[in-house]
Amino acid sequence: MLTSLVIGVFQGATYGLLAVGLVLVYKGTRVFNFMQGEFGTVAAYATWGLVANAHVPYGFAVLAGLACAVLLGLVVERLVIRPLLDSPKITLLVATVGAALLTISLTTLFGKSEGRVLAPALGSKNFFILGAGVATQQLLLVAVLAGLAVALAYFFSRTDLGLAVLATSQDAFATRVVGISVPAMSRFIWGFAALLGGIAGILQAPIGVFGPGFMTGLFIVPAFTAAVLGGMTSLPGAFLGGELVGVAQSLGIYYLERFHIPGTADLTVFALLLAVLLVRPQGLLGKEA
Amino acid sequence: MPLLELDGLRTGYGAVPVLHGVSLSVEEGETAVMLGLNGAGKTTTMISIAGLLRPWAGRIHFDGKPIHGKDARELVEMGIVLAPEGRHVFPALSVQNNLRLGAWPKRRDAGLVKRTMDRVFEVFPRLLERRDQLAGTLSGGEQQMLAIARGMMASPRLLLVDEASLGLSPKLAQEVFETMRRINRDGTTVVIVEQNAGVLRIASRAFIMLKGQIVYAGAGEELRRGGELRKAYLGTPD
Ligand SMILES: Nc1ncnc2c1ncn2[C@@H]1O[C@H](COP(=O)(O)OP(=O)(O)OP(=O)(O)O)[C@@H](O)[C@H]1O
Ligand SMILES: [Mg+2]
Repeated sequence: MLTSLVIGVFQGATYGLLAVGLVLVYKGTRVFNFMQGEFGTVAAYATWGLVANAHVPYGFAVLAGLACAVLLGLVVERLVIRPLLDSPKITLLVATVGAALLTISLTTLFGKSEGRVLAPALGSKNFFILGAGVATQQLLLVAVLAGLAVALAYFFSRTDLGLAVLATSQDAFATRVVGISVPAMSRFIWGFAALLGGIAGILQAPIGVFGPGFMTGLFIVPAFTAAVLGGMTSLPGAFLGGELVGVAQSLGIYYLERFHIPGTADLTVFALLLAVLLVRPQGLLGKEA
Repeated sequence: MPLLELDGLRTGYGAVPVLHGVSLSVEEGETAVMLGLNGAGKTTTMISIAGLLRPWAGRIHFDGKPIHGKDARELVEMGIVLAPEGRHVFPALSVQNNLRLGAWPKRRDAGLVKRTMDRVFEVFPRLLERRDQLAGTLSGGEQQMLAIARGMMASPRLLLVDEASLGLSPKLAQEVFETMRRINRDGTTVVIVEQNAGVLRIASRAFIMLKGQIVYAGAGEELRRGGELRKAYLGTPD
């Protein structure tokens, strides 16, 4: 049981990291962004391509991968989001799904559909924590998540730019009144969210074998569950939600496996999502923070 | 040369015209007041000057430079700042953070921001008491004050205040007018839109707007004494 708990915590880190990007876009622009996972997939592919094929030093490849993600975020903002800004939010949601599917098709086209292996950032040693085998890459992921949590909390409460992001989501007219450019904020939010997605993708890819759409296919639904669990607008909520989903999933597998039910992992996530939406739709920390 | 000059300003919403050629001018250092009935076009005039609504025709000059067609961001940087009608504060941010965002164009000058905030808290002691409270939980009158205080934070040359006293008790309204006078003494040119003719006490110039046009422009004092004039245009003898 404890072992499952530990596995869940590490699994949850990726959900939390993706969920933070979802919350950021939702806070800033009130859009449910189904493209978030693909920022990660593209960053992972770019990094892998440079490391495995061009033998670029790992650090540079990571930076290039993140740059690709940010570029993609800016392109999506300019070509998909901005022209639709005055449309109903559901149109925007569908548009982000479309952008994600297009990205998956393109990565399949250029990257082939076979599984790829990206080397872990800090070697491939394993540890055992309470009986659970944990790779250094997973430790790194949790450390980065924790670091980002602190950095983002500081950003949103102490910096002018962070406050401006919050302002944009609260009153667009007042945002213009104080002289903040709303299009510039929209660009910033999408670029920043894409960066977070890219970080998630590059950290997650070496933990298994990856292929086209892996961040969307495996992680986007649990990440949305995490974000909703946290209240959709709360960054600490997103971190916490990620961990909760990870742990619930892992415990679900632990307890339900003996009944030989297929797909227990997904089942637990959906059950959790439904339960939250029915019982506490405003989430656990449903406030702007 | 006037600090602000409007010449034949026309604009509206969608295809519906609201302003039918508004002309007025305000000298640097003045406190000007615009009175008018509901729906006359006062707010429309203010947001056009502030770059939040595009003029269809006509010219706006600030400090001699044409500014019609410029967007709000540029105008805020030039020193034209609006305290909008309708409590447009950031509800989920603290009073202090609302003020901090008001200083957006000056954000790289931490010393100036600090000094301005000290001055704002001196002028609005109520906001100092509530500096950590979320703006959305302030009373209507306090939010009104916050909107004005946020405008001050940009250290503007021209502060446009749309409805300074709406929803305030007569006593508090006088208090806010007094505050506006202090802001003006600090060197800011002020234009106030008001329903309460009590504001004329602090006005050096007054305009009356009727159906999208300026029908009276003159000294504030003149309008204060001329009960007939007020009655004719505003329907209020006092
Ligand atoms: N966003 C809008 N869309 C369409 N018409 C509008 C809009 N805003 C204002 N109007 C119309 O423009 C006219 C002038 O409105 P405006 O808000 O400028 O009046 P006002 O003088 O500020 O009135 P009040 O004293 O009630 O604030 C009104 O007839 C109003 O219905
Ligand atoms: Mg008005």
